[in-house]
Amino acid sequence: MEEYPNGNEGSFNSEEADGVVKECIEAVVGGDDYSVNQVNKWTASIVERCLTQLVKQGKPYKYIVTCAVMQKTGAGLHTANSCYWDTAVDGSCTVRWENRTMYCVVSVFAVAIP
Amino acid sequence: MEGSNTYLIRPNHQYKFKPAIVKECIREIVRERLSGMLYDPEEVPELSRSLADGIKDKVKNAGFDRYKLVVQVVIGEQRGQGVKMSSRCLWDADTDNYAEDVFMNDSLFCVVAVFGSYYY
Repeated sequence: MEEYPNGNEGSFNSEEADGVVKECIEAVVGGDDYSVNQVNKWTASIVERCLTQLVKQGKPYKYIVTCAVMQKTGAGLHTANSCYWDTAVDGSCTVRWENRTMYCVVSVFAVAIP
Repeated sequence: MEGSNTYLIRPNHQYKFKPAIVKECIREIVRERLSGMLYDPEEVPELSRSLADGIKDKVKNAGFDRYKLVVQVVIGEQRGQGVKMSSRCLWDADTDNYAEDVFMNDSLFCVVAVFGSYYY
């Protein structure tokens, strides 16, 4: 008899992804101050790193990773998302991170491959 | 989401996620809702949520069969600050795609990205 994975095994672990994303942001930006010359590189390496780490977990998912970095000037920032998918297997996680000079919001969406 | 497997591994061309059409959907809704709008921190959380939902519904009804959709809306206040957004995806480049649009007025900016992932 073939064994089928139980429901939990297949679902997206958002806490684990949360940790992965935080580590990536810390590793890329850390304590640096906002800089116009660096920000392109930062956002690119954050999404790249997150994706690499997530893929390493070897789960059957397609991933979408977005990252927004905004300089702190007292301006407000909001993000919202809305998804049309299978809530039983697909999942997302959003991490809000900030240091003295900038905000960083990273969202990960995991879409199960059937 | 629809349940049964079709064993089709590629969408027919007519049902394929078309970025230009999706971009038009985004543009229409965002322009309608945000034109002349002032940034109000009290209102924006609800606004961004309903914008995301509205865009999702519109794209859902645009006839992209068997696509899972992710809609992300970012609304920020304009205060001369620097902002940078990036995204990267691990997916099937043959079937999956995305569309994005940016709206700006004197008081706020709004970035919307819609990602479509084909459900085999």
